[in-house]
Amino acid sequence: MWEAGFIFWGLFLVFGVIVVAYVTWMIWVER
Amino acid sequence: MSGQVTVFVIYFLVVFALGWVSLRRTRSEEDYWLAGGNLGWVLGGATIAATHTSAGTFIGTIGVMYTAGWSFGWLILSIPLAYWFMAAVLAPRFTKVKELTLPAFMEARYYSKSVRGLSAVIILIATVVYIQAQIVAGGLIASTVFGIPTRTGMVGFTLILLVYTVLGGMMAVVYTDFLQLVVMTVGVAVAIPLAVRHVGGVDELFTLVEAVNPLTFTWESMPATLLFTMGMAFMLGSVSSPAQLIRLYAMKDMRTIRRGILLAILLITSINLMVFVLSLVAVVLFPALPTGDLAMPMLARTVLPPFLGGIMLAAITSAMMSTVDSLLIVAGSALSFDIYQNLVDPGVSPSRRRIIDRLGIVIVGVVPVLLLLGGVGEGELVQFIVLLFTALMASSFFIPVVLGVYWRRATREGAAAAMIGGVTMTFAWEFFGSEAIDPVLPGFLLSAALMIVVSLLTPPPPAHATAPYFPAT
Repeated sequence: MWEAGFIFWGLFLVFGVIVVAYVTWMIWVER
Repeated sequence: MSGQVTVFVIYFLVVFALGWVSLRRTRSEEDYWLAGGNLGWVLGGATIAATHTSAGTFIGTIGVMYTAGWSFGWLILSIPLAYWFMAAVLAPRFTKVKELTLPAFMEARYYSKSVRGLSAVIILIATVVYIQAQIVAGGLIASTVFGIPTRTGMVGFTLILLVYTVLGGMMAVVYTDFLQLVVMTVGVAVAIPLAVRHVGGVDELFTLVEAVNPLTFTWESMPATLLFTMGMAFMLGSVSSPAQLIRLYAMKDMRTIRRGILLAILLITSINLMVFVLSLVAVVLFPALPTGDLAMPMLARTVLPPFLGGIMLAAITSAMMSTVDSLLIVAGSALSFDIYQNLVDPGVSPSRRRIIDRLGIVIVGVVPVLLLLGGVGEGELVQFIVLLFTALMASSFFIPVVLGVYWRRATREGAAAAMIGGVTMTFAWEFFGSEAIDPVLPGFLLSAALMIVVSLLTPPPPAHATAPYFPAT
């Protein structure tokens, strides 16, 4: 069951991490 | 049913009004093909997101979810990475000189009218096939909403699309894309709570899904190589789609592009994730549909109240229309601007150019419908065609565009070889190669190899071709 939970919720989590990374990059480029 | 028809009639009237407003505001060819080249980040990001999200997202995804399960959903992560690459790596150099079309960039960077013609022809052929797939989806929706034959629906949708796209050009496309994106987002966001409640809540949904297909929440439902190479196809294809590349030209500056792409990433991924959840509901409710393409229209009819069902169907229609209108612009400009006005008859007068620009769009809109009515290409799974199109764009344009602005030594012969080799290999692999690997991988690798080898064997490009894109040394 642990794996099933990761396959479902992990997708949302990783997407969140990508968005945070993008915003950080954007702020860094325009600083 | 009348609630649904009302939603659609209002929707179409607003779309026509936007086409009319755009016609009044279009004065130059830059207005017509690039919406003036001065878009802000909200309209720019929205048009990227709306163009990316096609009928394949709504209609085709479910078919794949039936067989592949949730692991297919992880492919979606390749899309934010692709657009990030575009904003961070490609756009800063690609937009140093603003052209009107992708083939115009190819001529400028590869100092060759033949390379321009070749890329225009590839765009034309691939786009016609892709438009066909989207129109088939439109016909399905029309028959669900209005109870008319699928073919009548296909013709009707094409007419509506042609009217506003021909009238207002890219400006009409950008405005309608914004409207269509709002409809899409509202449509899925409203449908999700109702659909999940219909099957008895989130926990119940998971239990039921696993009962229908026990492999849904495992990695085993799809070969890892296929998952990885399909992710690669999504990524390379998103970056090299001509419709998206010209949107970089259409936006005001790099700051705008970075913000616009952030908005696009948020919207595209969220819409996809919501559609994935809806497809889980569809898997439970309709475990034995003849084709997955029918699942979303069925969901709209059975789970949602008529008015909301109408909005949901309008959302699918919006996804289809916002992609096809952008492709009509890309293919129309390839035909009338790149092929006719630059290669066939360069001396054409400005007043005739305006007519020819519009005629090009009419032709690329009518041909797919005629082919469909003649029985060519009907009944294919929409997502299959979307994937093949993506693979074709990736294997023909990624290398010439990216190396064009990052490798000074890339020559016109190299670019031509890369495009021809990439397209040929993609087709060959699609029909004769292993099914465990998406055709984009061999196509892309051959394209890269040919670009490098042929460029090194041919004389280096003249300085005037490369200078605009590279920092002075």
